Amino acid sequence: MIIVGMADSAVAKKPVKITTLGLGSCVGVAMYDKSSCIGGMVHVMLPSIENARSKDNPAKFADTGIPYLLECMIREGAAKSAIKAKIAGGARMFSFSSNAQLNIGERNVTATKESLKKLRIPLIAEDTGENYGRTIILDTENGELIVKSALKEQKIY
Amino acid sequence: MKKVRCQARETKNVYRGIQMIGRMDELTELQASALKEIVNIGVGNAVTSLSKMIGKKISIEVPELKVEKIEKVPESAGGADTVVSGVIMYVEGDINGYIMMLLSRSTAEAICTIITGENSPDILNCMNQSLIEEVGHILAGSYVSSLSEFLGMNLKISPPMQTYDMLGAIMDHILIEMSRNVEYTLLFDTFFTIEGNRMEGILLTLFDSGSMQGILARIEAMV
Repeated sequence: MIIVGMADSAVAKKPVKITTLGLGSCVGVAMYDKSSCIGGMVHVMLPSIENARSKDNPAKFADTGIPYLLECMIREGAAKSAIKAKIAGGARMFSFSSNAQLNIGERNVTATKESLKKLRIPLIAEDTGENYGRTIILDTENGELIVKSALKEQKIY
Repeated sequence: MKKVRCQARETKNVYRGIQMIGRMDELTELQASALKEIVNIGVGNAVTSLSKMIGKKISIEVPELKVEKIEKVPESAGGADTVVSGVIMYVEGDINGYIMMLLSRSTAEAICTIITGENSPDILNCMNQSLIEEVGHILAGSYVSSLSEFLGMNLKISPPMQTYDMLGAIMDHILIEMSRNVEYTLLFDTFFTIEGNRMEGILLTLFDSGSMQGILARIEAMV
């Protein structure tokens, strides 16, 4: 099992599993190519690299992290046309965030979807929003995405 | 004066990052111990007020001072998927930062039992959640007021936010907020143990670099 940290990414081949732990407002993007059984995951923190003080880690941002992950997967032998995506996270952990930052989780989800759309990667499942944390596991045997949380039943997409 | 480097995992990267936040690695021995002492006093006061409230002895460990890459904070605070009862507050005023109280489920339950007398309390019901929230608020309140007194600074804390969830999920919006401006943060990690079995919690303090400079300037002025 490969553990992807915050603002980190990884690519793996069958039968290795990839996981990222404790997603709150961050978004976990899992991409999978069924034909070659290559999967990838990125844990993005922010919607966009624009206006960022430090731009040296593409995996931190939705608009750079997803193209970066795609590139890594293609380099490993995945076929772009076969890659499909599933996303999870983007929660709003505390209901009264009064400041103008609004809902960072929701903005991360929107930016993630835009980025996938731009790259023409179909989004086939999502488990986003609400107010709880998620741990996700991508099984590269079959492309299943397992979503675990502290209090809810485990879900499989 | 002898220079000490703060404990850090990726020394080379940390070094690069620290330059960006103002050469935190070059804390003198005096500065590093003064910082620890200040946090220790604050945490000491906080824990005393909790101890009075629940009528149990609480012991604390000397705080650990770490320079940590923001993305690594959940790991170094106990693991991103560790489920805890967490209370978060912002510190605002002359310095900016965050204070978090993280309790294991059993500790949160024990505190509820001590205060309400309820056996096997459900820490997810509103009353108990609000109780834990208030305990966190009292802790952070005395922490911040002792910091403010000691440093002669004007500080206040936000209302507490409580939830029971994975540690990474509880704190990631804070880390996102901090990561807009800095790559590294100063992290004070204090473990406290409440008399009795398996009751322990962590009080976590995060400051941004500007605030740290402010605190250091006050220390310089005092010596």
